[in-house]
Amino acid sequence: MTQNPIHGTITLRMPLLTAVMMLHLCFGMYYDAGLDAFATSPQFDILDKTDLTPPQQIQQRLDQHCGDCHRGTSFEGDFNLDQLTSGNTEEQLQTLAKMEEQLHLALMPPADSPRFPESARDEVMQWLHQKLDIHNASTLNGKLAQPEYGNYLDHQKLFSGEFTHLKGFTYDRRWLISEYIFDAKINELLNHRPFQTIDGTRQYVIGDNNRRAPITNPFLLPSRIGVRYYANETLNAGHLLTMMANAKEISAYMVELVKRDKRYLPAIDEFMRQQWEHQSTLSSRREFLTNHIERVLQEISGYDEGDWLPIFEPVNLSQPSAATADSVKKAAFHAANPGMQEMILIFHTMQHVQSSSRSDDELIEQCERRWFNFGDDARRIESRVTFLRQYLPEFREQIETHRYAQKYKQRPYQPLPDPEMHVIVQTIKKHRRKGDHFNEIIDACILDWDKEFEQQRQQSDRISEGQITKLTEQLFVKLHHRFPTQDEAKSYTPLIQGYLDSMTRIDAIEQVIQTIILRSEFVYRQEFGRGDSDQWGRTILDPRDASHAIAFALTDSAPDEELAAAASSGRLWTREDYRREVERILKNRNQYYVIDEAVQRLQLTASITNQPIRKLRFFREFFGYPSLLSIFKDNKRFGGHYDNSKGRLVGEADRLVEHILQSDENVLEKLLGSDAYYVYHSGDNEAMRTASERIKTIYDYFHPLNWQDFEKEDLLDHKDFLAEVKMRGVDVNNLSPGGRRNPIREFKTAMESFSLRFDKGQTAAAPYVSFPAHGPYNASTRTGLQLRSPEVAKFFNIHLDNWHYPSAQPAPVNNRRGMLSHPAWLIAHAKNTETDPISRGKWIREKLLAGTVPDLPVTVDAVIPEDHHRTLRQRLEAKTSETACWKCHQKMNPLGLPFEVFDDFGRFRTRESLEHPDNLISKGPDKAAPHVDLRDQYKTLPIDSSGYLEGTGDPNLDGPVEDALDLIDRLGQSDRVRQSIIRHAFRYFLGRNELLSDSKTLIDADRAYQDSGGSFDAVIVSLLTSDSFMFRKTLPSATGNTKSTQL
Amino acid sequence: MGFGQPNTIGMTPSFDQNLPFRFIFIRKSNGIRPGELALPTFSDQEKSKDDHKEAFEADLEKHELPSWLSGLKPHKEHLGILQGLSCKMSENGHYSYSSVMGAFKSGRNSLSGIKRATADFELAKLSPSPFGHVELSLTGNYSSFRTGIVPGYSAPAAHQRNYCYADPQTAFDELFKSVVDPASVNSENRMLQFLESEEAYKVSAIQGYERLKLTNHISSIDAIRQRNREVAAHAELIQRHLPVLNPVHQDGGINASTPEKQEAMTDILIAALATRLTNVVTYTIDELSTPIRGLPGNESDRISIHELGHNGGYSGVPAEKIREKIRVGHIKQIAKIIEQLKQIPEGTGSMFDRTMIFYFPENGETHHSHGTEAPFIVLAGNASPINLAGRYLRLPYHATPEHKTLGNWYTTLLNAFGNPISHYGDLDLEMSRKKLTQIGPIHQLLT
Repeated sequence: MTQNPIHGTITLRMPLLTAVMMLHLCFGMYYDAGLDAFATSPQFDILDKTDLTPPQQIQQRLDQHCGDCHRGTSFEGDFNLDQLTSGNTEEQLQTLAKMEEQLHLALMPPADSPRFPESARDEVMQWLHQKLDIHNASTLNGKLAQPEYGNYLDHQKLFSGEFTHLKGFTYDRRWLISEYIFDAKINELLNHRPFQTIDGTRQYVIGDNNRRAPITNPFLLPSRIGVRYYANETLNAGHLLTMMANAKEISAYMVELVKRDKRYLPAIDEFMRQQWEHQSTLSSRREFLTNHIERVLQEISGYDEGDWLPIFEPVNLSQPSAATADSVKKAAFHAANPGMQEMILIFHTMQHVQSSSRSDDELIEQCERRWFNFGDDARRIESRVTFLRQYLPEFREQIETHRYAQKYKQRPYQPLPDPEMHVIVQTIKKHRRKGDHFNEIIDACILDWDKEFEQQRQQSDRISEGQITKLTEQLFVKLHHRFPTQDEAKSYTPLIQGYLDSMTRIDAIEQVIQTIILRSEFVYRQEFGRGDSDQWGRTILDPRDASHAIAFALTDSAPDEELAAAASSGRLWTREDYRREVERILKNRNQYYVIDEAVQRLQLTASITNQPIRKLRFFREFFGYPSLLSIFKDNKRFGGHYDNSKGRLVGEADRLVEHILQSDENVLEKLLGSDAYYVYHSGDNEAMRTASERIKTIYDYFHPLNWQDFEKEDLLDHKDFLAEVKMRGVDVNNLSPGGRRNPIREFKTAMESFSLRFDKGQTAAAPYVSFPAHGPYNASTRTGLQLRSPEVAKFFNIHLDNWHYPSAQPAPVNNRRGMLSHPAWLIAHAKNTETDPISRGKWIREKLLAGTVPDLPVTVDAVIPEDHHRTLRQRLEAKTSETACWKCHQKMNPLGLPFEVFDDFGRFRTRESLEHPDNLISKGPDKAAPHVDLRDQYKTLPIDSSGYLEGTGDPNLDGPVEDALDLIDRLGQSDRVRQSIIRHAFRYFLGRNELLSDSKTLIDADRAYQDSGGSFDAVIVSLLTSDSFMFRKTLPSATGNTKSTQL
Repeated sequence: MGFGQPNTIGMTPSFDQNLPFRFIFIRKSNGIRPGELALPTFSDQEKSKDDHKEAFEADLEKHELPSWLSGLKPHKEHLGILQGLSCKMSENGHYSYSSVMGAFKSGRNSLSGIKRATADFELAKLSPSPFGHVELSLTGNYSSFRTGIVPGYSAPAAHQRNYCYADPQTAFDELFKSVVDPASVNSENRMLQFLESEEAYKVSAIQGYERLKLTNHISSIDAIRQRNREVAAHAELIQRHLPVLNPVHQDGGINASTPEKQEAMTDILIAALATRLTNVVTYTIDELSTPIRGLPGNESDRISIHELGHNGGYSGVPAEKIREKIRVGHIKQIAKIIEQLKQIPEGTGSMFDRTMIFYFPENGETHHSHGTEAPFIVLAGNASPINLAGRYLRLPYHATPEHKTLGNWYTTLLNAFGNPISHYGDLDLEMSRKKLTQIGPIHQLLT
């Protein structure tokens, strides 16, 4: 509040920060200009602050431009200005918030009504902002910060060059980690380093999160199509609750890691060293005694097993009745054995008693006696005996096949050093009692030693303050990648001391780890400026924060060694420094990533890349094709096994994007316009050629030989050839059918399958397996697994029984152009059972034309009526042609309807199938080989794929379009489309919506793309070396932030 | 309304609207074959309809139960058998993972495939409690049981997986920690207090949206502290209902038999409800990899449920018999839950009045299921608004007019207990292809 020097009354100034934020968000204006404008704008008396009734001048504006439709009893759109005077405060504020949104987003007045003059609109807006800010009731600010509102900043202004003098920056911020960063962080913390065999070489991969510790990822990104990871999100109680459970698992796991290797966290080892040494001694004594107690006891004078051990009591087991046992199918060995650990123990016991047993029954009895002598749990003994009685022959075979004798050798008896043996013998003497089982003697000894060790520790093992400080430091470095500040170290000392005083040492350490994990810093990335401000009030990003910002822009992992070293050695201050590091990471092809674990899980699809993962992920999210995985579709309507094929479809879309990014030339043009695709292909041309040629060789060899009439023995005439080509199930050295293998049947099955792929004169055929089989065969994925799901070809209208298979891919496919006609994109923008021209059109409007489509009003019934005599287009047009609907649908339908040349599985078509029982012409088979189309046939109507392109800003491109391919061709030539993709790239890499002050950054990125011959790497370098990325402003009212000590 | 007879201890059913409803979901593996639920005393006509999967209804009061359900005979008035639902929109085959309780395809056990909060979590929102929801499981790796806290199958929200207590001792320690291990609770509270003050110090220096990020962190900590306080306020109740665990369950209970583990989990489940720590429990009583040990008649066999699905027998006992014995064991636990809850007074009746128990196969009708059948055995207290008690109800078969899916069933439950959702879950695609109506609740269960 300020004193008005003229009138002497108190006037209200909008809180500075809110004003800044709001002006940024609402007008996309450089904030100083915004503040100046505000400073000279009319101000309203403080006495009005709770009075939400518009003052007279505002009232007049509203009456003039809004009153006709939104006053009185017949108001429109569920919005009545009378609420401003008659409603309660809450209703008044809701009305104001709605007005603010409608005016800002230029949704009102409607296009067919007189527009608000600019000055009048500004005046009303100023009043609305002020009133809503007082009550913190604006919904606009939050909305405009969301990615889906990014396009409300005028595209022409942004790229006009008029605002390039404005200096780009981002506010200091904390950015909640993403699901990917969380996983990478946890994997690094827990030393989880998964490997995969890729192209025959074992490679470390990031993104394979099959950890041993059960950690739940609470930071999942929204599933929307488009940029998903923004700096707007905040942690909530759900996150924290999950993180508490995670912290417990992580802390226990970390302590285990120290046990394995003290270098992991030496301070913990120092805390625990004596205790762990004691535990190690106890465990080695236990192991020694468990293996050799009989021998040790024998060597103690006066011990005789017969006198000292309890009398043997065999377990009482009923034998299976012979009558039923023969008629009942016996469970397989693998389903009846008691588990690996138990089998090893049984094996060792069998070895031990082997020499004294003359028959199987005696062997089992000797084993049982030994377990009894040890005092093993009676149920376990029963289970072991039952297993041996029923599965001894199978177990012996297992022992032989799996080389138990070599793999699970028992240590021969070797006396321990004299002092240790002395301790053991003395303690045994002290505790042995007649009637004790061996385990009772061992347990009593262990208990004795444990007590003794504990006493020793109580006397000698004290924790110093220095050790506590060291623990704090090491944990901060491990968990936050920095040393604690002095204040932090100071506050953690009494906390840790308190933990140590109230719980066991191990529990206390785990609790300290949990505490540090639950700090906000663990889940928020920090991006703060550092040093002196420049003349525009900006500071350069703190080098440590910059190193994280660069690393997380391109990968999911913390800075690599080089980047961290650059930050700590003063080599991450300048634009050139940034460029050097960004280019280095972009060029790196030595690190593999899992693109999508969900894809990887489906039908063994290899989902890997060695591109920096976030570059590839941008296009996955931008196009949104992975969303098809959650769309549930009918196998029957697909005409094959859709669920088996969808993973391969997404995987091959990924491979196409990766291929285009790898060339890094005209990336956007190729993504939108290339007619080449991967279809049932591993990505390895040479391997696919070999696999395809192999089946052709087999076909060519047998084709003239009347193989259909072959008997088993005929195969022997072709022994050399078959040995060379190795047909599955056909072992020429053993032609007797055994188990599921019948060589002649499998030979013919394969030949039938090959014939249907070659009989029509095909030059090459897809190398898929001819019958269900495990393991690699014919063709493999790049990770060495069986290449499955040839039915992926059906999405592309390719018939497996009539396909000149191109081994070198990507290869041209008819009636396709780029990602927008890739079936993955088309399905992701379709519904379960029909196409979705609205979502296809909306995607083009928003993602390619930088346009806007208002939110769907809640009152709208957005269901297209069923009518099985009309096409979807006819039904949609009937529904959306009403004026109220068309206002928005004109932005989507003309762009989406040309895609009606593709059905909801992405198949090209000229006629639409009217799928309704009344229209059924013929039923397809329910089950058949992959090349067969299982679809039912229905009556059809011709497709109308005409549409209209409006919004490129280029009169040569805008206008009527024939179909999707015509539309795609035009979009591919549009500057606006290119710029729109770059706007989305900006949002993706900076985690926020662009502002007018980012105009230069965007224009530079666009120019970098064009000057480099269409390099997307050039776009990324340009964005990550821009002022918008490098410079920060402190929020005006902030007085500081938590600065970290440099490593 | 499907209210049954007054309960065994003669209390008036409790219709107090302020009292919460409770829901117990018991998931079993390996399917329930439709014939296994057929009533032995069906008339020829009823039997024919049941065999041919035609819609009909029978009054349980007039029929004998299949022998494996005889443990529920004393509770027949609360029992409903629902046949003919389908679950093709969830995962079928061996496992359904999270999908059977969310009516979606989850892409096997993929986290990204979890489309929405599962129905049990939706019901938990309608019956709030300090824990909100508790999940228990007895699962394993074929030869040994899993222990500790493991990922569960229920989902609190899209792309989220719940935690689950995998052995009785862990469940006991975690649920009743405030009483059995107050020192641990105190240390957690001390940690939260420290974190709150640490974040509060940082927040004092910042403004605007960035401030909101830290204040949210603080309120999250505070919310958990508040939950801990609420749990602490239940100390007296916990003391009263604290179960006594057999020492065989210590350290993961490696020597405990499967029936012993089930007994102990049942005790914990009952206590979790009786102490009012939760009103919803989801309990995976077994899955294909759960080892079966100590089963009466096969005490010393290590039985694989998966192998039973492939008709492998043990010690001369055929798979079919062993599968039945496993189910008998499950039913014994359900009967115990009912009996115990009936003993706990609540309002003017007992705790069971406002309880519903659902026992169902997680994957549908058989070992390798297709999802055309998803049978449910339902036990409902007298105040339940679901009209199924005392009825054997077979709904029209999959993809025929009036057929009902798992989605319709969950919609029925949600609507009945206060969530007006028009349809919960994904639609059945064959029904869609045939243009059959499939949205909304099963009205005949709501009347």
